[in-house]
Amino acid sequence: MGKLLLGRYLQGNSFVHRLDPRAKMILCFYFVLIVFLCNNWQTYLLLSATTLLCAVLSKIKLSYFIKGVMPLIWLILFTVLLQVFFTRGGTVYWQFGPLTLTQFGLLNGVFVFCRFVLIIFMSTLLTLTTPPLAIADATESLMAPLKKIKVPVHEISLMLSIALRFVPTLMDETTKIMNAQRSRGVDFSEGSLVKRIKAVIPLLIPLFVSALTRAEDLATAMEARGYRGGEGRTKYRRQIWQLKDTVSLVFFGLVTVGLIFLRN
Amino acid sequence: MSHTYQVGTPLEEVAVKEVSFEIKNQSFTAIVGHTGSGKSTLLQHLNGLLKPTSGYLTINGHKITPETKNKELGDLRQEVGFVFQFPEAQLFEETVLKDIAFAPKNFGKSEAEALEIAREKAKLVKLPEAVLERSPFELSGGQMRRVAIAGILAMSPKILVLDEPTAGLDPVGRFEMMELFKQLHQKEGLTIILVTHQMNDVANYADHVLVMEEGQLIADTTSKELFSDPSWLKAHHLSLPQTTDFAYQLQQRGISFETLPLTEHELARFLAPKLNQRGKIDG
Repeated sequence: MGKLLLGRYLQGNSFVHRLDPRAKMILCFYFVLIVFLCNNWQTYLLLSATTLLCAVLSKIKLSYFIKGVMPLIWLILFTVLLQVFFTRGGTVYWQFGPLTLTQFGLLNGVFVFCRFVLIIFMSTLLTLTTPPLAIADATESLMAPLKKIKVPVHEISLMLSIALRFVPTLMDETTKIMNAQRSRGVDFSEGSLVKRIKAVIPLLIPLFVSALTRAEDLATAMEARGYRGGEGRTKYRRQIWQLKDTVSLVFFGLVTVGLIFLRN
Repeated sequence: MSHTYQVGTPLEEVAVKEVSFEIKNQSFTAIVGHTGSGKSTLLQHLNGLLKPTSGYLTINGHKITPETKNKELGDLRQEVGFVFQFPEAQLFEETVLKDIAFAPKNFGKSEAEALEIAREKAKLVKLPEAVLERSPFELSGGQMRRVAIAGILAMSPKILVLDEPTAGLDPVGRFEMMELFKQLHQKEGLTIILVTHQMNDVANYADHVLVMEEGQLIADTTSKELFSDPSWLKAHHLSLPQTTDFAYQLQQRGISFETLPLTEHELARFLAPKLNQRGKIDG
């Protein structure tokens, strides 16, 4: 389970680390949108260069980003193959029944691959350089306008923080209970599919029980310390918008201009 | 018969460093050491949850080496009952009886046989008959723990490994729990391996003590010997049992002991005649 890179934070003090989490979130989502503006190799090159620049600025080894792509590699390859074999147009290189290998197909395949990789790189960059709690705080701050239409923004963000906070705790708990049930003769890794699904029950029930107990304890602890919801609540970790955040936004704006100029 | 554990396990974080020891059959062994000293890692080797990264251990004739396959560990898991810290977290069945019967069923007993064993073990851990058909989640903390321990005993292990079994219990519950283990040790002939922070329990129950520090075994001795050297214990930030501590303080005030007593009983036997003498002189 340690392989899961999503949501893992690497401590650091680079330019990207020091950006306001809100700026990073805006830019990350914005980047995902403008990736879809790309339609030729010049535009992909521009965005790849941008991504690479961000990665270099974060001072995180490239191998971490590649590890971020790995869990999704089958999904990516599947999509790429669909694109390659089912897009028509241009010179036909090879044909078999409904499958055709065409110039446009190949090109589309490469583009789809780049699109996936760019999006994953950028979101990996966000989670690698931003502590999960800062992301939760930023979400709350960014969604603040939604309060006007009665969206429970503070509660949503609280749920997010609690969920993120308890991921490692629940992982430990799972290992513990697995060990305990293994000692009672449960085999999690062998046997037929039905047997394995059955083996999960002695794991899930104690896990739910402990999660519920934990939730109750946490709620009591919060109320005991006077928690009354988000109204008038101040933050211990304040997020301050700085010049470099504005600079980053402007930079991405310029990239967009370049992108519109380069696309056909 | 004796079995030899020779654990040499430089894990990646080197939790246990080239440890080598032997635990006699039907002994009552206590393992003490501070948090992070490698006790838990060591324990998990005892029923094959972890395998040594180098070296080997032999338990009841089962040899575990780094190459041992998980499949071969089934028998071992049955022979070594492992009671985890806060074992009540492992309960999941609808009724107490079914939960206790879970392990024997996993090890190939029929439903009826397993329930029979469960009833017997419930009696052994002194669970009242009335709770057997209730949900384990309705019971008190102490009772849940008994259910969990019965669930381990239901495998009829020869060795019982206990990881801080009294943590979180009140003094009465703690005493009853330790008496239960004593009974299992004496009447059922189980080999008991107990990890604890309670020096009183070490003094009262264990005959063999292993002390771990930073992944290494720094003492392999009897409880009598361990507690006869208060300065060594102090150097390793371990405390004395209450009784021994009391006697030690008396000794420093001029009352000499041949050996420091470990239990209240021993201390009382030593002090009573002295107090009587004093009484005569005063009277």
